[in-house]
Amino acid sequence: MTDHPLPPEAVHGTVPPDQFDPAFVADATVEARDVSVWFGPKVALSELSCSFGAGVSGLLGPNGAGKTTLMRAITGLTRVNEGSVLVEGRNPRTDRQVHHRMALVPEDEAVPPGLTARQFVRYIADLRQVADRSAPDAALGEVGLLDAADRRVDTFSKGMRQRTKIAAALVCDPRVLVLDEPLNGADPVQRAHLIALFRRLGAAGRTVIVSSHVLNEVERMAERVIVLVHGRLAAAGSHRAIRDAMDDTPRHVLVRCDDGRRLGSALVGLAAVTGLTFDPKRDGLVVQTLQARELAAALPRLARDASIRLHEVRPLDDSLESLFRELVR
Amino acid sequence: MTDAAPVAAAGRQRLTPRLVAIMLYARRSCFPPKRWLALLMPCVGALLFGLLARAIDLPRDRAFANVAAEGIFSLAMPITALIIGDSVLGAEVRAGTFHFTWLTPAPRWQIVVGRWITGSAVAMVTIAPASALAAVVAGSTRSAGAAYVASAVGSVAYVALFIAIGCITRRTAVWALTLVFLVERLLGEALTGIAQLSPTWESRAIFVGLIDNPPARLIRDGIPAGADAVVRLAVVAAAALALAVFRMKRMRLSGASD
Repeated sequence: MTDHPLPPEAVHGTVPPDQFDPAFVADATVEARDVSVWFGPKVALSELSCSFGAGVSGLLGPNGAGKTTLMRAITGLTRVNEGSVLVEGRNPRTDRQVHHRMALVPEDEAVPPGLTARQFVRYIADLRQVADRSAPDAALGEVGLLDAADRRVDTFSKGMRQRTKIAAALVCDPRVLVLDEPLNGADPVQRAHLIALFRRLGAAGRTVIVSSHVLNEVERMAERVIVLVHGRLAAAGSHRAIRDAMDDTPRHVLVRCDDGRRLGSALVGLAAVTGLTFDPKRDGLVVQTLQARELAAALPRLARDASIRLHEVRPLDDSLESLFRELVR
Repeated sequence: MTDAAPVAAAGRQRLTPRLVAIMLYARRSCFPPKRWLALLMPCVGALLFGLLARAIDLPRDRAFANVAAEGIFSLAMPITALIIGDSVLGAEVRAGTFHFTWLTPAPRWQIVVGRWITGSAVAMVTIAPASALAAVVAGSTRSAGAAYVASAVGSVAYVALFIAIGCITRRTAVWALTLVFLVERLLGEALTGIAQLSPTWESRAIFVGLIDNPPARLIRDGIPAGADAVVRLAVVAAAALALAVFRMKRMRLSGASD
């Protein structure tokens, strides 16, 4: 972590966590300390330390970054090999009482077959001993599924299944809500609706942890972002801190096209470009920039104006690959 | 939603007991139509064994006793119980839907016992009546009650065993078949100690203990018969359920896609 390109205000360093560390929050409800999880030879999480408190926190990272493993560790589904995870001071793996106050919406599409949405949500309500018999319908109403409540869940579309699982999670009014890619499969209207719902829950003092590999999506719902890459904490803090940090970081981008010489000449005139070399091994231009967003916006326009066909635009800095990809998008 | 009242504190409305909720869920969700069809196959097999008994040149009761011991209690019943036991837990773990139950405050023993009760109930309405019907088909109506009881008790013990296996490994079918055919059938044939704990051998002993003039070859020394065998199987089932509860604490649940 010490050689990470991001500045200290956005990066969790090797120093002991304290109140100035952006990976930690005051009044944390969920706390992970030096958590390592491995599956055989594959290391899913490596010495990860961070905490979550009231409000919506986003977990961001590319596929395989360890987001799901961290969420499973937080909910007790996955045993941590080293370190500890505490939810409201309790170990979620061994203390069943934690589950009175916590719910998970898994990313998997799998849903119990043979049950209607209402039966499924009611089942979860029964197991959680929710006294209010109208809670299942209220939860289904929150996610806009009341009309389909008597349809079998296994006949639902991906987005509807996801919303059913969110309703099942909401039915007990959890204080800690862990959502793994909850917007998968949802249409734009539903996305907006769910984002508003999560923000409302966060504003009501619930700890909402949402994972996504889409930065813009997380940005819309979370006040705070934790970025994971290769099972490690890459960055933490507000979007602004992370974006600002990225803006100050020199970045190398590989550009392959059908006329490198002409594109190179055009790129030299851009303010966003601070360096340019030709890499014969990669058969492309390596562009150095401090302003990735500007470069991302200018490059397609430049190529179009010069009638140059772009074959590949790829960041070479692995640690920022996902964030960069999102910015380019 | 943030106003929803959790837990029994509200107390005004009647709560569904968790055990009942788990049993209802298992009945609805663990036995989709295809699985009922799969369950029918060994039951039909039991009936075919009943027909087979008619072809044996022995008095009807004796012929059925021999066929029931070798075919129904050793083959049809364990396979039916395997399908049931796997359905109520192992299949759900593999499908990635079990964590909906696991991630609730429901006590683990209720999760295990609720599913076992449902599985046992399914056995009572599938293989147990099929075994009794097989006796009728074989022309040994007097043995029908004994066949029902032996099959029901054996299945109940097997379902508990297979639930425990489902908590230990994802390959429930492989390990369950290994247990039934290698450990129980092969080793149990030679070692009385194993046969004493085997649902196959004990259900045979229950059946033999309940019918009149059983064939001498079916009476095995060192194996409790009749009510004693029922008690023995109850102990086996209780031990298997305890193991399942213990293992459930250590389960590593992953999604269907993992």
